[in-house]
Amino acid sequence: MRKHLKLIALAGVIALAAAACGGGETGDTDDGDQADGVQKGGTLRLNLLSDVISAFDPQKEYYSVTWEFYRCCLLRTLMSYNGMSTEEGGTELRPDLATALPEVSDDGLTWTFSIREGVMYAPPFEDTEIVAQDFVRALERTADPDAGAGGYGFYYSVIDGLDDFGAGEADSISGLNAVDDHTLEVTLNRPAGDFGFRMAMHATAPIPDGAADGHVQDYGRFLVASGPYMFEGSENMDFSAPPGDQEPVSGYVPGQSITMVRNPSWSNDIDDLRPANVDRIEITIGGTEDDNALKVDSGELDMQFDGVAPPDQVQKYQTDPQLEDQLFVNPSDAIRYLTINLAMPPFDDIHVRKAINLALDKDSMRRIRGGPTQGELAGHIMVNSLQNNLLADYDPYETPNGQGDIEAAQAEMAQSVYDTDGDGVCDDPVCQNIPTNTDEADPYPDQAALIQQNFEPLGLTLDIRQFERGTMYDRVNDPNTQTALGLAPGWGKDYLNGSTFGEPLFGSVSIGPDACCNYSLVGASAEQLADFGYDATEVPSVDDKIAECDETTGDAQFQCWAELDQELMENVVPWVPYLFDNYVRTVSERVENYTFDQFAGLPALDHIALAGGGAEG
Amino acid sequence: MGPRPGSIRQVVLEGGRVSQVATEPIDDSGLGPGPGGGPAQQIVGRSPWELFWRRFRQDRLATAGLIIIAIITALALAAPLFSSIVGHGPNQTFAREYPAGALDDFGLPIGPNKDFWFGADTAGRDLFVRVLYGAQTSLSVALLATLISLIIGVTGGLLAGYYRGKVDTVVSRLIDIVLAMPVLLLALGLVSACGTAEGCMGGFFGFLKPGWKLVALIIGLFSWPYIARIVRGQVLSLREKEFVEAARAMGSNDRRIIFREVLPNVVAPIIVYTTLIIPNNILFEAALSFLGVGVPPTTPSWGRMLAEGGANFTFAWWMMLFPGMFLFLTTLAFNLVGDGLRDSLDPRMSSLRRKTRKREIAAQTAAEAESPVAG
Repeated sequence: MRKHLKLIALAGVIALAAAACGGGETGDTDDGDQADGVQKGGTLRLNLLSDVISAFDPQKEYYSVTWEFYRCCLLRTLMSYNGMSTEEGGTELRPDLATALPEVSDDGLTWTFSIREGVMYAPPFEDTEIVAQDFVRALERTADPDAGAGGYGFYYSVIDGLDDFGAGEADSISGLNAVDDHTLEVTLNRPAGDFGFRMAMHATAPIPDGAADGHVQDYGRFLVASGPYMFEGSENMDFSAPPGDQEPVSGYVPGQSITMVRNPSWSNDIDDLRPANVDRIEITIGGTEDDNALKVDSGELDMQFDGVAPPDQVQKYQTDPQLEDQLFVNPSDAIRYLTINLAMPPFDDIHVRKAINLALDKDSMRRIRGGPTQGELAGHIMVNSLQNNLLADYDPYETPNGQGDIEAAQAEMAQSVYDTDGDGVCDDPVCQNIPTNTDEADPYPDQAALIQQNFEPLGLTLDIRQFERGTMYDRVNDPNTQTALGLAPGWGKDYLNGSTFGEPLFGSVSIGPDACCNYSLVGASAEQLADFGYDATEVPSVDDKIAECDETTGDAQFQCWAELDQELMENVVPWVPYLFDNYVRTVSERVENYTFDQFAGLPALDHIALAGGGAEG
Repeated sequence: MGPRPGSIRQVVLEGGRVSQVATEPIDDSGLGPGPGGGPAQQIVGRSPWELFWRRFRQDRLATAGLIIIAIITALALAAPLFSSIVGHGPNQTFAREYPAGALDDFGLPIGPNKDFWFGADTAGRDLFVRVLYGAQTSLSVALLATLISLIIGVTGGLLAGYYRGKVDTVVSRLIDIVLAMPVLLLALGLVSACGTAEGCMGGFFGFLKPGWKLVALIIGLFSWPYIARIVRGQVLSLREKEFVEAARAMGSNDRRIIFREVLPNVVAPIIVYTTLIIPNNILFEAALSFLGVGVPPTTPSWGRMLAEGGANFTFAWWMMLFPGMFLFLTTLAFNLVGDGLRDSLDPRMSSLRRKTRKREIAAQTAAEAESPVAG
């Protein structure tokens, strides 16, 4: 089989190399300019299978791909990250447009940021300095329910007066005070130890006066940059015209291409975080994974940015010594799991939930997904970096080789009320045709077949329905659908703090079709359960512990979140976690200095470089 | 020589006129009767079925098709046997590393080898066993669907052709409506709506819950117009024939006439078109499964296997090759048999017969040229 692949690859290389060599190099390159041995210059060629979600509108984009484009290239924020992996400090909060970490008052309610002086926006605002009021403007836009639709405005409700402003009950946000042009004072309505992280997300990036006016729905197409790069053609945007008559920036053609060029207002002197090695980034949108994998093989494309590397390509690169250094594997700080509805029989019995944790063959689940390269088997809920690896070896339902242990599972099931004769097999009719949902895309249907097989010896049969991904998430999030098991969810951190795995997943405020994302109904009240049509009247709750951890700061946070994880795994059991995901990527031969941005969980485009400054035949 | 029991043979005379002649001695040599012709023949009366079978056997392609159908049916019936021989169930996943399983360290399935005769799919299931169970699915769905469309189609066609008038109008418009429908879209909708555990419309005779029977019902509901139209056409012409008039004159009621006079003469085209509809139904089921709305995922189906195989073709060509090959051969076989049936049962429709007869006529006229024809 490898021979076939080599022949196909060889044919592909010969065919495409001929085409590739025709394309010349574009843009000005500082030929041979080196800093730290890394070549500057060249045009990076990427592909996206799907366009960004909200046309680059920073108040709406809740998508890791766009987050990387913002962080590396287009937008600077008060706080940011160095674009590297956890081991290289990629999870530490660092000042970006701020001059230092914020000063926090003793009661934890007032946060003061000092802003760099003399930083100008990209054209056409190259004569406008970035000032404190610009951040206020961004947060006002975030609070606006229209401008912020689909985004993550809920993170900023902790700012005093923001929700009132959003509801139209106030003219300004009382908790935001631009003391002077270079000082911003933020007052919170409760202590939040992770507030610094919230100011590192791009809904808080500064917006110059006049740029977003009249662009409630489409500011992304008129985005004014503040980072090392900007959309090509930004200088031609004319904000003096009425908003309806303005031409969107030519460097972003929705559904087709994104082109970013250097921002003349930016330089390495005013930015400690971003090397910004390449001169130009050209992104095409569309195609298929297999197609683009061949283009990466031939060098026509430098990297397929989203999607998954095809398993045969991963195998080829991992096993060929010449290609090994073009394959990168990094933990993406995301977890894949089965979600259990605590209010649906037979899962209202904790012994059944524990039994399925013991029965699942997690190693085979991972193998179907692509094998050990795809990540570490997960024995608990929170990604290890969120707890500073405190629980790295914690796996309360460990089984030999992670392949499941049917005897142990049956022993657990025997203690359940649904197994009346104690033989380890459920004999209650409620264990037949359990309503289950999963994703219709690969590899979920294949995994579903495995899960069926693993649960059968316990007397559980699943009635599995497959849905398109968005529908699957909507349904598992809506308690009215009475879905007992969800086989396909995943959850990644928004920023590197346990709070992103706390309330959104296990807080009672996150239950319901309009909220996000407590699929298991942990902490649901009796009224909520009745409302949604369940017979159960109570389920375990961890609201108190979440509130406690949300307010802790510093290293104590890690310990607190670790305790919550243990409480969940041993006394609540809302999930069967099975994989801490990796991000696996293949790149073309000329790509150098690949680093992994632990914040967005994607390659850092501000660090990447091209061999020889990108000059090639 | 007076008419004898046996076949009515048709002779194509010079000029293309067709004439029905009384039985003639069967002469295998292909040469006509007459003094200059072949050796003296013993006159043997053969029943229509024997004649049909001889003609069918002579058609080599049709015979091959029949053999293929027999083999695939045998394989389908023996699927559980093969499953226990190789020790793999049709839905059993072997997601460990070979030899304990069928997936390598990158999740890539192994190809055909001594343990997995057709290789494995991306969930680690045995493709050979699944293909055999898929044959069960295809054949049972197609046959049940064909039976349903047969019952509805023949009934409709008979009633419409015989009674004409309002009955015919109703049935013909129904035919038009069903033929005008976007079949695949509607079938998609119906199977999706009724394919859940709760079923729909109260589980009508147990048919409308998910399963292969639901799929067969829906396919049958869309195929019956083809049979109905053929039957109706035949009945319309048959009801004008003398023997129907004679039966009516003798006092037979409508029911006797339909079942005793008309229906037996419609049997031949019914058989032919029914056989030709089966491959369409097989493909219809495969199409629905390919799109994900056919039989439930736990029932192996060639269509769904093709969909899965297409996505993984670059590294697991066997996932597409084997189901595709079986689907192709089965469909081809039924088409060949259907063509053969048409040629053998109804000589008027056959171009094969015309070619054979032209040869016979040529030889006969050559013989006649040498001696006068007996009067």
